[in-house]
Amino acid sequence: MKRLIQTLTETFSPSGYEGAIRDVIRKEVKPLAAELRVDALGNLIARKGTKGGKRIMIAGHMDEIGLIVNHVDENGFLRFTTIGGIRPHTLTGGRVRFMDGTPGVIGTDFSKDAGRLPAVDQCFIDIGATSAGDCPIKVGDVCAFERPFLDLGKRLVAKSMDDRIGCAVMIETMRALKSSPHEVYFVFSTQEEVGLRGAQTATFGLDPEIGISIDVTLTGDTPKARQMAVSLGRGPAIKIRDGGMLADPRVVDWMIRSAEKARLPYQREVLEGGTTDAKAMQVSRAGVPAGCISIPSRYVHSPSEMVDHDDVQNAVKLLTTMLSKPVEL
Amino acid sequence: MPELLPFLKDLLSLPGLSSYEEPVAKAIRTHWAPLVDEVGLSRLGSLHGLRKGTAKSPRPALMICTHMDAIGLMVTGITSGGFLHITQVGGVDPRVLPGQLVEVHASGEGGTKILPGVVAQPPGRLLPPELDDGPVPLEHLLVDTGLPERQVKAVVRVGDLVSFASRPVELAGETIAGHTLDNRASVAALTVCLEELQGRSHAWDLWAVASVQEEVGLIGAQTSAYALQPSLALVVDVTFAKGPGANDWETFPLGKGPTLVMGPNIHPAAHKALKDLADRLEIPYAIEYAPRHTGTDAHATQVAADGIPTALLCIPLRYMHTPVEVVALKDIQRVGRLMAEFTAGLAPDFMDTITWDN
Repeated sequence: MKRLIQTLTETFSPSGYEGAIRDVIRKEVKPLAAELRVDALGNLIARKGTKGGKRIMIAGHMDEIGLIVNHVDENGFLRFTTIGGIRPHTLTGGRVRFMDGTPGVIGTDFSKDAGRLPAVDQCFIDIGATSAGDCPIKVGDVCAFERPFLDLGKRLVAKSMDDRIGCAVMIETMRALKSSPHEVYFVFSTQEEVGLRGAQTATFGLDPEIGISIDVTLTGDTPKARQMAVSLGRGPAIKIRDGGMLADPRVVDWMIRSAEKARLPYQREVLEGGTTDAKAMQVSRAGVPAGCISIPSRYVHSPSEMVDHDDVQNAVKLLTTMLSKPVEL
Repeated sequence: MPELLPFLKDLLSLPGLSSYEEPVAKAIRTHWAPLVDEVGLSRLGSLHGLRKGTAKSPRPALMICTHMDAIGLMVTGITSGGFLHITQVGGVDPRVLPGQLVEVHASGEGGTKILPGVVAQPPGRLLPPELDDGPVPLEHLLVDTGLPERQVKAVVRVGDLVSFASRPVELAGETIAGHTLDNRASVAALTVCLEELQGRSHAWDLWAVASVQEEVGLIGAQTSAYALQPSLALVVDVTFAKGPGANDWETFPLGKGPTLVMGPNIHPAAHKALKDLADRLEIPYAIEYAPRHTGTDAHATQVAADGIPTALLCIPLRYMHTPVEVVALKDIQRVGRLMAEFTAGLAPDFMDTITWDN
């Protein structure tokens, strides 16, 4: 599974530009799906299970946070704005890669106070151009963090673990799921980082009876962290609340029942900030009971997001066991 | 209003935090069942009661939407001393929390049980110096159940709900104080409306809705409006009443009738119909202007499906989002009567008379 995670996280696809990652995932799931299609917003939708069964939608977003160029100066330096929640402290000294493969480094305007954090508009990308004329990157071109996958044994680090790790869990679940009484739709969604937009329309289109997102959550297990009762390595987190939604209590119960029956470790997640595709699913049409299985992750929205390999594998087991058996909420 | 008071007090004594509305939904359902032709739950747990109209099918339908969920707290962790870290469900004002009596809905060992607790504020010398003498943020407040650490960790789990324990109190001047008058005062008003309609007929179908999860994003109203797709939506919520330190231009007198809200969130013809009716019935009201998001279910119903003309009535309330919200009973009664008369007076072709020119 580590190789899959490496492939997924080393692909560059910020929100709205998911073509590259969609191709990678499509290749992985093609042999596993009964039906595969791409909808109008670019969501990759793979069906598995029993047609006519309960329609269950699993959503993991394949887009990642990134940058978009909004100005090229005469010397070929690129000013930019953000796609999704990128904060300046993750930028300085970092590297990026554009969709055409062009690499670049991030510099900042001079400040007398070297300890002060620059604002995003005080940062620029240097791709090594000497003038606007020889700069192949134009206004509107997008890039993402450049940072190779790092295997620390039990712990794995990469850019875009949010939410390629969710995509990996879904792909492995499709592989592990021998049969399901449900009509399961695995949706590799677009534009989550800019407002859950792919999941919103995919849910409307599929009209599921239950919705589950697979995404990362934060932890409270690092030095002087904000208080949060989730740690790396103690199992996938079952979301009860996050910054955007209260998970449907019936879905929470289903997840907990399944984890306990299969003797899988799990954690109860109450997250202060952030939300997932489950929020968009919950309010679709006449409402969808929705919840989320979270992969605990440190340093979310930085170029080095860390997850625990056991948590990832246990998330696959949890989702597989849930989808293998009938359910009445 | 002797017959309504016990029901209102019941409503104000029940938990039913956002997304966990079942206890209050059950109580409302029991009360509504004899007053409506059908009653059921939406996919997300909103209560839908239908009173059938007399016009020939397909009939227009009016949805009256009042949210039943309550704000409250949720356990986020347990300290090494056995105290509970908490966060909010909906918008809770942390300034009023220290010293509150609460109920912890413990779901751990031994099954679900209610533990009484108190919200404790650590002394200033134990807080970060930058907090100084100001109000203490929620992340530093704790709930003390009195149990030692080992026992707390066995019976209380992260994600357990914490609700206000205070019971409603009748204050002088026919007012009532309690938690969750936002918006169960409006649920009570809708109940008055259903009672007033007993033995009367109306041309339109009436969907009485007690919606879920308003306090966390208008979720019940959005989904119920889509499910029912009424011709017209009437939302009832609370607004800021005049109170200590309140200014003149954003608050409304307590006990002098509801506000009829106007603004881009509201269909002007529906607003005018309510206003004309209130004038005719000599029900006092104030006009409230909401230039943007009304902060109510009306914001969601208006844009549900292919758009639903929406009107909004608000009951003035003091001390919003605290455990001692205050409402005048008379205002509840007035809103109930206004809604009943509005429902009964809707002509089958009322929607044809709604144009953007009046």
